[in-house]
Amino acid sequence: MKLSAYPAFTATAFTSRLAYRNQVWSGVFGELVATFAFIAVWTAAFVGRGTVDGVTLPDMVTYVLIAGPLLNWNTTRYIREVGDAIRTGDVTTFLLKPLHYPALLFFNQLGNNAFEQLTITLPVAIIVAFTVGLLPPASLAHGLLFVAYWVVSWGIMFLIATLTAMLAFWLLTAFALDWFLRGIMAVASGAIVPLWFMPAPLAAVLGYLPFAWVSYYPSAVYLGKLDLPAAGLHLAIGCVWLAALAGVLTWLWSRMRHRLIVQGG
Amino acid sequence: MSSVLRVIPHLIGIHIRTHMEYRGALFIGWIAQAIGYAGIYASIALLLARFENLGGWTWPQMALLLAFHLLAYALGASLSFVQFRDMEEKVRLGTFDAILVKPIGPWTFLAFSGLNIEYGGHIALAIGLMVWSVSNLGIDWSPGLVLYFLAAIVSAAMLTAALMTMIGATALIWVRSRHLFSIFFGFWELARYPLNIFPLPLQIMMITFAPLGFLAFIPTAVALGKPVPILGDWAGPASLAIGPLFVLLAIVHWRYCLRNYQGAGG
Repeated sequence: MKLSAYPAFTATAFTSRLAYRNQVWSGVFGELVATFAFIAVWTAAFVGRGTVDGVTLPDMVTYVLIAGPLLNWNTTRYIREVGDAIRTGDVTTFLLKPLHYPALLFFNQLGNNAFEQLTITLPVAIIVAFTVGLLPPASLAHGLLFVAYWVVSWGIMFLIATLTAMLAFWLLTAFALDWFLRGIMAVASGAIVPLWFMPAPLAAVLGYLPFAWVSYYPSAVYLGKLDLPAAGLHLAIGCVWLAALAGVLTWLWSRMRHRLIVQGG
Repeated sequence: MSSVLRVIPHLIGIHIRTHMEYRGALFIGWIAQAIGYAGIYASIALLLARFENLGGWTWPQMALLLAFHLLAYALGASLSFVQFRDMEEKVRLGTFDAILVKPIGPWTFLAFSGLNIEYGGHIALAIGLMVWSVSNLGIDWSPGLVLYFLAAIVSAAMLTAALMTMIGATALIWVRSRHLFSIFFGFWELARYPLNIFPLPLQIMMITFAPLGFLAFIPTAVALGKPVPILGDWAGPASLAIGPLFVLLAIVHWRYCLRNYQGAGG
């Protein structure tokens, strides 16, 4: 199947989500409540302190939105759908078609994620911007670099989620894998607490793992906490992680499609 | 009534035996869910390690709040969450009609035939965290306080089960109700932090319209002798009354929805 045909899956995934409007307003409400909860947490933490480690409360309000709903998208639905396809045997219908299953997942998830960003994250960002206030990028260069980081972040998150889901070929359940990933991402991505507030030895270790490129580094670059040479270097390291994870997925997929055990009928 | 009580252990036994057929998956699920929550709690611990307190709550106090939140939720949700989350599927496919003709109350059948033992990881983590926090807090545990604490856990679990029953029951008249769980979990997420860090309108909402302030913050604050916004000295009695009160409301709502159920599939 030609690569040019795959964007049709993105468009289909996007339009099919339009059918479930209740999920949109409840999603906006849930995300809004969670975002304001974290803003309240940081507001309480900064009471009586103007700056902590060079970071201000407005920095953290912006960090909450970027590191959370914008970059650290909820992978539960995606992982469980892939896991269910493997458990029920539905994955075989895709294996019979002249397409590359991981590529199908990529373009499909791109459509789903674009829908969620437009219908959930964007309204939440607008409400937060008008009620609490959001900071612009530290500079034009930081803003442009952030766009590149966003692409790397999305790619790494997709690859980590897909690798996690693909392990269901061995374990036949994605439920536990999803929970393991949630626990790891909560700490290692920096989505809840940025690495600059963590103890130095822990931050040093987490700063080298790919999870930090999902939330922490892109947000830090947006806020100008990394100077431009450091931001460029870390973007290059992020690209290396992206390539390495893509390589692992390609290798794993070449092995997994030969060990499919169909349980469904 | 006695025949219903005799059936309940059999319903639970059948469900547990089904789960134990896949005991490897069950144990991995327990560990994975405990790790999932532990990751979030570790983040909160890291935040408190840097900022010392959150709204006047130190890490051992926050640990007690988080443990209470998880334990009360797990006890209530084991009787209700998965069972009533799937109500809209049962209504849409018409399988709820089959439950209606069984010689047992539909709520009793749904809640106990689906008693979710997958919350074992939640309960183990909550109890472990609670033991650690209590041993670090030096609370003066009088018999009255112990009784209050245990009763407050039961009341908070009743509140959880009642709210989930009401959301699930709504599917009987709306067909769709799963999206309402997103709203529940939005407030549930807020409930794991001290209520006093939120703006006043949200505090009022968390003890009235969406009373999840009673899930953990209010009983924990009472046990620690901390002030409770708005409720003040009424916080203790109110936290014990809220569970039974919402169970009564859930019974009324459930019966109303059953009376007005017309089916959607078949």
